[in-house]
Amino acid sequence: MFNSQCLPTNAASLLPQHLRHTEALRTMSSATIRSADFEQLALPLFTSLYNHAFWLTRNQAEAEDLVQETFTKALRAFDSFQPGTNFKAWIFRILRNTFLTTRTGIAASRTLFLEDHPGVLDTFATDPTPEDNLIRLDNEAALHTALEQLQPPLREALLLCDVEEIKYKDIAIILDVPIGTVMSRISRARSTLRQLLQPHLGESL
Amino acid sequence: MNEIAQSTRSTEHLNPDTLSAFIDGELSQQQRQGIDQHLTNCHACTLRVLSATQLKAATARAGHRFAPPPEALSRLTAKLHSQQTQPQQIQTHQVQTEKIQTEKIQTQQPQKKTSAPIFSIRPAAWAALAAAILLTVSLLSWRQLHQTNALAAELLDQHLATLSNAAIPQVISTDRHTVKPWFQGRLPFSFNIPDATALPTDTLLKGADLTYLNGQPAALLLFTIHKHEVSIFLAQRSTSSTLATLPTTRAGFTLHTATTPDLNIIAVSDVNPADLDNLIAALVRAQKPV
Repeated sequence: MFNSQCLPTNAASLLPQHLRHTEALRTMSSATIRSADFEQLALPLFTSLYNHAFWLTRNQAEAEDLVQETFTKALRAFDSFQPGTNFKAWIFRILRNTFLTTRTGIAASRTLFLEDHPGVLDTFATDPTPEDNLIRLDNEAALHTALEQLQPPLREALLLCDVEEIKYKDIAIILDVPIGTVMSRISRARSTLRQLLQPHLGESL
Repeated sequence: MNEIAQSTRSTEHLNPDTLSAFIDGELSQQQRQGIDQHLTNCHACTLRVLSATQLKAATARAGHRFAPPPEALSRLTAKLHSQQTQPQQIQTHQVQTEKIQTEKIQTQQPQKKTSAPIFSIRPAAWAALAAAILLTVSLLSWRQLHQTNALAAELLDQHLATLSNAAIPQVISTDRHTVKPWFQGRLPFSFNIPDATALPTDTLLKGADLTYLNGQPAALLLFTIHKHEVSIFLAQRSTSSTLATLPTTRAGFTLHTATTPDLNIIAVSDVNPADLDNLIAALVRAQKPV
């Protein structure tokens, strides 16, 4: 299971550059390195996974349980991870699927989400002035509130894109939807945020 | 994706999906070029791109909201290791708050009899040590992430936003006599831009944007030094000076500051810090009354 080869003799020197290092690890194929390999890939994502788990569950204890279960499942299934593919997308997908089996997740999935709204949000203000269009970036409280008001499927796609910086094609894998759906959800999430923030646009200018 | 193909024709305004895909870097080079071309002529779409970029940066900050409790990572690694190394041995004494060090000792204990023969003690100890280091490093980087000055993040975000092809300055001009008057009525303060001859060698003014720092309107001047992009933020000098606590580097970019009696000047770039300081010095000189 473990092999001393897989661990650097001077582990500390490699850790700050874990991203580059994990790239190298991904291309190694020996089964003997896989457990240590798993931790090197997965542990740096811990805070991201926790943050996302919290957005899904809205509860600290549930978020922690969800992340623990995700790591456990991911470790067990690590042999099915194909080196060279996107590990972050792979483990976020496990996180999401695990969430859907929890009580909160089942309750959430019962809420009907209409994928295709009539395009009421897609109106294009033809001549916005700069002052109308710029969001005051200091008003983080308003943005938090707006994010909380977003429909969960929209918020989930937007957070994966903006916070986790995952590409659309990988978000499509995580959410198990077509890439076009990812694109429209992200776009709708932003339009909705903008609407929710409307009272705050341009204030104090 | 037909919509995208259509909207890249330079006469059409960006639809919301295309705009999102554009700022997320999801379009092909050809599609991007079409949009760039449109943006050079369309003030409204340019503003929408700028605004969308700002919203994206703000969402990224707001979304990084929930940090795990400090001991959560050690709980996790403890669980993973019990699962990995000793499947048959029930670790009843392994309490939730167990420290990684105790686990290290545990894995070093002789494993005879029934324990799985596929691993030896030494690698297991290495694994525990590596996990301990990882834990420390992750915690440190996590703390760092959450303690770093929010202003530095905002500055860097805005600088990065100007680097993308999408970012067209609101004023595109190398002429200080065009750029400075453009800010009149947009900013509650004034400033001087040095004449091209007063700038350091190979330093060019490209344009400017109106922006916000800490909720205050500010001028963003875009320069290049030896082809490196430089963002200069000029803001009214406030009584509460947050500049002193600003880190001088962030994510590989240099953040240097200067103050004049009226202004806070902040420069962000990946250029050689000495060159950056020359430009700041030129700006400071330009503010002095003649």
